[in-house]
Amino acid sequence: MLGLLLVVAGLTAYTGTGSVVPMGDYVFNYPANFGNRINVPANNPTTQQGVYLGRLLFYEPKLSATNTISCGSCHQQSKAFTDGKALSVGVNNGLATRNSMSLANLLWARKFFWDGRAASLEEQAAFPLTNPHEMGQAIEVSVQKLSNTQLYPGLFKIVYGDSVITGERIVKAIAQFERTLISANSRYDQYLRNAYKPTDDELKGMALFNRGPDPEKGIRGANCTHCHGGPKTYLELFHNNGLDSISKDEGMAAFTGLVTDRGRFKVPTLRNIALTAPYMHDGRFKSLDEVVDHYSEHIKQSVSLSAFLQGESNETGGKSLKLLPKEKKQLIAFLNMLTDSTFITDKRFADPHQSTKN
Amino acid sequence: MSVKKYAVVLLLLITGLASQAQTPTKEAVVKVTGEVTTPLTIGSADLQQYKQTTVTRKDRDGKDHTYSGVIVSEILAKAGVTLGPELRGENLAKFLLVEASDGYQVLFALAELDKGFTDRTIILADKIDGQPLAPADGPFRIIVQDEKKPARCIKQVTAMKVMFAK
Repeated sequence: MLGLLLVVAGLTAYTGTGSVVPMGDYVFNYPANFGNRINVPANNPTTQQGVYLGRLLFYEPKLSATNTISCGSCHQQSKAFTDGKALSVGVNNGLATRNSMSLANLLWARKFFWDGRAASLEEQAAFPLTNPHEMGQAIEVSVQKLSNTQLYPGLFKIVYGDSVITGERIVKAIAQFERTLISANSRYDQYLRNAYKPTDDELKGMALFNRGPDPEKGIRGANCTHCHGGPKTYLELFHNNGLDSISKDEGMAAFTGLVTDRGRFKVPTLRNIALTAPYMHDGRFKSLDEVVDHYSEHIKQSVSLSAFLQGESNETGGKSLKLLPKEKKQLIAFLNMLTDSTFITDKRFADPHQSTKN
Repeated sequence: MSVKKYAVVLLLLITGLASQAQTPTKEAVVKVTGEVTTPLTIGSADLQQYKQTTVTRKDRDGKDHTYSGVIVSEILAKAGVTLGPELRGENLAKFLLVEASDGYQVLFALAELDKGFTDRTIILADKIDGQPLAPADGPFRIIVQDEKKPARCIKQVTAMKVMFAK
């Protein structure tokens, strides 16, 4: 393995603008307990040169109509690749339809967007690039702008064999970079590999997180793992979590046409959740306290409410979790264990244009 | 703002509300695909065309319920899946992946579904105690007879795909 890495590290290419581009297959590095059900399309294998290009494109404001917005504007590393806003502001000063999603451990995701409508990161990336409320620039214009730079034609040649820039090649490179955004060093990960001893509150919060409530047997729980389980705290699920009696946003029902899919949205990763406020598809909750209060007290009943939230309570006959104030505090202590400071400071994920002026 | 402008705004509001209030009305179906000779799309009426079977098992409420529906292998047989005498050799490396509206997936080895291998009945149910399943559970749910945990009694089934283990 080490030998392979040395050989791979030895391969580099020059862009003609002075940058050295690493070459060869990109080796994903992640804990064994994340599992190997990863999603890399056969027609877009991950290479070091592709990731290098994708990172430049991810942070490239020329891909927006105003030359001011890049993917990195609404997906900021310091906020685990979110932007702290309920809805992001696009080039036309219009608002995006839904809350900017955290980009972490997408290597394992198979359905993208809050409604899961895209089957690959490549397909996903094409949407914000052209949406008038986001980056708002036709792909042909982006292609033209990049073709007129010193930097990009040479890089596309290194990655794709010739210097032709196309929309497909742009989104492929961006997707390659996004797949490398792996978060696996939170205190929770450290705990799972016996390298961190949780505090009392964190341990009690973890127990609540993992257990379903059973008031008959005197078992208290928050049942979070039903949807946020496993070492990645991500299961690819879509639910109506009782935010509204009639969801203003149709969610998945917009394309399935099923009444039970109304207000059904992706269950997001809880990785770095303390960094990604505000919460929910419309960013309605400003803090984790508000989120926990929702599940504890404010589940709205409807025909679309997911089965696992019906009658799930610490009180016999309760309609929502009914956690005690102390338990909420413990749960939030655990959620803070999911913050990965290595991930948000990793130089490999930062804006490269600071050092590579074009 | 003039009266005319008010009228326009009001009209826009009404149209907006109307389109929001519009309830989607498509019928839920189960798609049967993958290693089949005839892909199927099964709606509620289609399911009635098959022989009906009942299975009694406990749900999360700890009580016994009678579920009725169709034995999964009979649906798969209609789709031309290699069951019965054909379930041998490499076909034993096939499985059925069942998917729900919420993205939840569970799988069964084909041999778990075949009468030649087991008497345990696995059905695609559409009724509980003679009534249609609750919206959050149906309209279609897999019911596995006698399985201790209900985790594979997957709710809101939308797809059944027969695949080879790679």
